[in-house]
Amino acid sequence: MSDHAVASATEPRVQADLACTRLSKQFGAFTAVDQVSFSIPRGAFFSILGPSGCGKTTLLRMLAGFQQPDSGDILIKGRSVLHTPPNKRPVNMVFQHLALFPNMSVAENIAYGLKRNGVPKRQHAALIDEVLTKVHLPGYGKKRIDQLSGGQKQRVAIARCLVLKPAVLLLDEPLGALDLKLREQMKIELKRLQQEFNTTFVYITHDQSEALVMSDQVAVMNHGRFEQVGTPQELYYQPKTAFVASFVGDSNQFAATVQAQTDQTVTTVTKRGVQLQCYSELALPPGAPVTLFIRPEVIQVGVCKPDPVPDNCLAATVLRILFDGARSQIQVQTAEGAVLLAALPQTADFQALTPGRSVYLSWQARQGLCFAATSPQHPGAVP
Amino acid sequence: MNRASFHRNRSQFRLGFWLLLAPIVLWLSLLIILPHVDMVLVSLRERIASRQYGFSLDNYTAFFTEPLYWNTFVRTAVMSIIATLMTLIIAFPVSFYIAKVLSGRPKIALFILCLIPFWVSELVRTYGWMILLRETGLISGALQWLGLAGQPVELLYNDVAIMIGLIYTSMLFMVVPLVTTLDSLDNSLIEAGYDLGGNGWQVMTNIVIPHAMPGIMSGCIVVFMLTLGNYLTPTLLGGKDSLWFTEQIYTQFITRFNWEQGAAFGILLLILSSLIVWLGLKLTKQSFTRVMS
Repeated sequence: MSDHAVASATEPRVQADLACTRLSKQFGAFTAVDQVSFSIPRGAFFSILGPSGCGKTTLLRMLAGFQQPDSGDILIKGRSVLHTPPNKRPVNMVFQHLALFPNMSVAENIAYGLKRNGVPKRQHAALIDEVLTKVHLPGYGKKRIDQLSGGQKQRVAIARCLVLKPAVLLLDEPLGALDLKLREQMKIELKRLQQEFNTTFVYITHDQSEALVMSDQVAVMNHGRFEQVGTPQELYYQPKTAFVASFVGDSNQFAATVQAQTDQTVTTVTKRGVQLQCYSELALPPGAPVTLFIRPEVIQVGVCKPDPVPDNCLAATVLRILFDGARSQIQVQTAEGAVLLAALPQTADFQALTPGRSVYLSWQARQGLCFAATSPQHPGAVP
Repeated sequence: MNRASFHRNRSQFRLGFWLLLAPIVLWLSLLIILPHVDMVLVSLRERIASRQYGFSLDNYTAFFTEPLYWNTFVRTAVMSIIATLMTLIIAFPVSFYIAKVLSGRPKIALFILCLIPFWVSELVRTYGWMILLRETGLISGALQWLGLAGQPVELLYNDVAIMIGLIYTSMLFMVVPLVTTLDSLDNSLIEAGYDLGGNGWQVMTNIVIPHAMPGIMSGCIVVFMLTLGNYLTPTLLGGKDSLWFTEQIYTQFITRFNWEQGAAFGILLLILSSLIVWLGLKLTKQSFTRVMS
């Protein structure tokens, strides 16, 4: 499953800021992190995306030094840090609840790390001013922590770490506590800061949108393993496993069985007896149970039957319209009874679409993915 | 809501408010304020003849002119301050261990272990120490058995014995506020302290202790007041020469039957101990309201 990740990381590249090899951590009988290997090139924004309990926090805490791995190695700029305590590691962490010291002012919070790292006192003021300007909080040094808004605290927490010029900045879901609007702003802001400081960021989150928007590389983690490591586009368009397909983005999911396969096009029959053409890179034997994933936005909705008929075409009735501006969707039911979601086209033809109307749904075989249905652990299927 | 009902609600609210406040007001005024006012009045009079009293400050001047009284008070205050600091030094690691290192059942178990000695009365606890420390006691016996002492050793009736008893008696009153404040310290603050390059000592002095300061101060105030006002432990463990200020008060009231002098000492103890607490708060830059909240 994680072949891709292992292959790129068994021999960490020289310029990698952070590399892990076969990192594992057990808590009693529970394996939190299971043989994870990866390497992050200098200056990359790397996200680890996974549901809660997938081991991403444990992984991050091992990188920071708060937990000791059972096996495996962590290399920062090519040197093993396994026996380096957290206060000596060239990594800094932005905590989930930021962990700003409430008894200190903004400047004192930033100066704390400078003092501990032996930066001469006369340089403090200039360094603090510089970093506060970079995070767009000039002149905030004298403020108390409780005088700051959520977004400002966020920036101070990042400034406090970045002023120390760490090799790697670890971020533990720092946007979780913010409201939606602010979160959207901070996503862009974090990306800007990462580029401006040119520091390697390792960001863990369960929010796929945060990971997709900000990252150069995303690792999708499940049950302590990396399911897939790739660019956001790769994860979205070419998921390697059923888990990635279901966790990243929305999908209509169907249980089906394989009828035949020619090259990468698989002909399947769903439980309701509908024949659908799908795409799979792996060879699937006839009769094998599979799960199909069709994203709502790949489904072409038409009022008339399309000509020529594409690989998949279904007649359906509109059940309801889920209006959400540009993200509007329709819920439709096929003649065979399957319910699925499709993106509502933003054209004049569909402005007056009402429940009960007949529509045609169509998509190419290449746009529907299918994976062998081995594990029944997919999170809630959409239809 | 119209005006009339608004007023009715308001007066109902007021009545309820006063009814709820009544017990504490009665308790404070009848048991605390009235006796103290009376004490002040008693301390400010002088017996001229049988059942005849006049106003006088002699009881107060006696305290400052008679070296025994003054010295006893200073000794009591200094011993209490030392006992408070030693209680803090012993209780802080214990509290830190309970609040931050342990979790779940062991945490509760250890906390209860600190609490259990307080289920027996102070008198019994002090007698326990006497059994251990007296000439024919356990420690003396053990020392002889080990050959470290040739004859029975008297470990009672000295300042060390008083100190041990006072610290033991005060421990819980320090551990409880410390555990409470340390519990409220977010672990990630400690981790952030390390993550940004601090070592154990720097994290302790920069992050843990500033956070725990209100708990430290409230624990210290309670322990100091209890120690200063303790009668039983210094008398039993220190014997006749323990020279504790509360003993002076007792002597004046009970032995000498000099209520005027005793009342003056009581008032002086209250004023001087409040002064010491105020000084302590000033020196550590803590505010009383923050410490007590």
